[in-house]
Amino acid sequence: MSHTMILSWVTFIYFISFVLYLFRLITGKEFWGRAASFLAWGGLSAQAIAMIIRWRTSYSLGIGHIPLANLYESMVFFAWTIMLIYLIIEWRTKSKIIGVFVVPIAFLAMAYASIAPGIDNRIEPLIPALQSNWLTSHVITCFMGYAAFAIAFGYGLIYLLKNLDKDKTEKPAGFLEKLPALATLDTLIYQSIALGFVFLTIGIMTGSIWAHYAWGSYWSWDPKETWSLITWLIYAIILHARHVRGWRGKRMAIFALIGFACVLFTYLGVNYLPGLHSYLRT
Amino acid sequence: MSIEKHTMWSFFSSVKLTIAALVLIVLVFIAATFLPPDDVVQTFAHQFSPGAAEIILFFHLSDLYHSPLFYLLMTLLSLNLIICSINRFPALWRQYKAPHFPEPADSFDNLPQSLIVTEAKEVSKIKLIVKSCLEKKYRSSEEVDTEIGSIFYAEKGRFSLFDVCIVHLSILVMIAGAIIGSIFGLEANINIKEGESVNIATLAKGDGIQQLNFSVRCDKFIVEFYEDGTPKTYRSDLSFIKNGQVQRRGTLLVNHPLTFDKIRFYQSSFGAAPEIKATVTYTVAGKKSGSLALAAGDTFDLPDSKARGVVLRVEENFMQMGPAIKLRIISQKKDIQFWVFQQLDNLLAMKPDLLKEMPIFNPGLFTPFVFSIDRVEQTYYTGLHLVRDPGIPLVALGGLLMIVGLIIVFFISYQQFWVRVEKEGAKIRISIAGRSNRNDQQIQKRIDSLCRQINEEMKT
Repeated sequence: MSHTMILSWVTFIYFISFVLYLFRLITGKEFWGRAASFLAWGGLSAQAIAMIIRWRTSYSLGIGHIPLANLYESMVFFAWTIMLIYLIIEWRTKSKIIGVFVVPIAFLAMAYASIAPGIDNRIEPLIPALQSNWLTSHVITCFMGYAAFAIAFGYGLIYLLKNLDKDKTEKPAGFLEKLPALATLDTLIYQSIALGFVFLTIGIMTGSIWAHYAWGSYWSWDPKETWSLITWLIYAIILHARHVRGWRGKRMAIFALIGFACVLFTYLGVNYLPGLHSYLRT
Repeated sequence: MSIEKHTMWSFFSSVKLTIAALVLIVLVFIAATFLPPDDVVQTFAHQFSPGAAEIILFFHLSDLYHSPLFYLLMTLLSLNLIICSINRFPALWRQYKAPHFPEPADSFDNLPQSLIVTEAKEVSKIKLIVKSCLEKKYRSSEEVDTEIGSIFYAEKGRFSLFDVCIVHLSILVMIAGAIIGSIFGLEANINIKEGESVNIATLAKGDGIQQLNFSVRCDKFIVEFYEDGTPKTYRSDLSFIKNGQVQRRGTLLVNHPLTFDKIRFYQSSFGAAPEIKATVTYTVAGKKSGSLALAAGDTFDLPDSKARGVVLRVEENFMQMGPAIKLRIISQKKDIQFWVFQQLDNLLAMKPDLLKEMPIFNPGLFTPFVFSIDRVEQTYYTGLHLVRDPGIPLVALGGLLMIVGLIIVFFISYQQFWVRVEKEGAKIRISIAGRSNRNDQQIQKRIDSLCRQINEEMKT
């Protein structure tokens, strides 16, 4: 089975896993949660295997490089890191509720990678600018950051959903009741943002070191650099507002959404602006 | 005066200013990424409205990253960071130096599960156990005796009090590095044709030039492609020449800069030079000459015959007959022109009468010299980017400090523990209290684990 075939299956598995998480949320039966988790772990492993096969295939084509070099490969890796970080959090918090909001992000990333027009899933050789050992550390740290922010986005959505119900005096209806407490969600939003912030910082720095060796300048005001800095500053503002002015709850949730919009623009939107990071342009 | 000073000070130290400056910087960045580059804006503005062009020039809208507006915001942010840090520091220092005894009031009230009551052992022995447990976990401990009993103290991560200071300092260090780099740094470009050397670089900003106190020779430039046509390698073989001597040779690749005389060289571009060069040799009476690299228009002298050669044309593939050059040789008696083919042997094999029909294809037309070509090739120039940036060590230091600072901010806290050992009649009561400078759940876990450890030690 070719790696693209496995990746198609993985996309499907993530979708099923999302549906099962939804069952878990609605019915409240732990069985569905276990099944969803099981599938999610299975998908994660299969995806890892597919990426390794792609890596090996690139070597057999004589253009060997880690599969992190174009939009398709980065999208697949993005989905993988989202699932990885999510499953680690699920394992540590023992709560299978938020899968409903995070797994579909990974599913959408996988689906987008395979069906979006202009995203080429061929293995391409590395152009000279990308032939660097910094490629791996730069891409991995950036996407760990993006994934953590995606998860904060998921928590933010749940928070706002649950918050809708807060003012009602009667007992909350249906599944909203089963969502984690607002205070827990607030902490989880903060923790994911903090994790993402550390990774994004390291990602910007590894990129900067790479730029120093590749372009002769650690900072060139390339649109992607600038947008990564915008994203960094927005999360920095959130963290300051929380620490110094005590922002909690709804404001954090809304900022988690705004921050993730910035992440998406940094990742995808910037490719439509002229700049040095054009390897990702489709 | 002092009030005015006070308001100024509080203006610069307010968090509102930080947030406002950050938000404005973000807006400037967003605008900057959407505004088209300098030249486009200029032409656009000039075509449609000279007034708009003036506004754009005045606000440096086409290059916001180097505009007075951006510099002003960065200055405000830096002042804000410095003054906030100065404001915070004394309190932090007092906290850092604060005595560990007496423990904070109410520390030992309402303690869950961190209480051990025993009557099995002597007080002095229990004290030893508590002390050794604390020291095992937290390296050192302190002890005081009060009327109620003895209190032990241990701590972890006290330096994390300075976490935010470290992060803010790191930003200032990076800004300082960037300023030093922009004032004392050098950024320039040079294009060197293969085989030539250059000692003057064009500055990247403005029209200035920079005289180098050495020269760079491009010995060879190579472009390689993958099978699908994607570029694979851009490579320049360079020699650095100082005081007439080659001091260093090196291969320059993208991602692998070379450094000479504190200037870093980067492979940044390349291009085909207008001319094609042929490597030409000739033989006289069976003796082969050295090779000459000649482009169209070049001249050369032929020894012993007072003749001069001119290269009229250099062709990579002349009339489907392969690489060829056209020469004109002028001596006192003759002025003749003829072609020299690289693959003359092949041509003769296909058409033995070639030279009779076309005497102009005879490379030995100017006797007794017989010319031949080793190769004809496109010459390239390599585009090098030169950088000298004395700010880099500071920027790197800043980056390192920031990572360390952030790791401390998010993952390390200042944890303090007090253990009280008191006699209650025949029993001995051990109470453990702890606190942390952050709202973390770890502290209770640590107290519990300390509790377990003391319990175990007492059993043995």
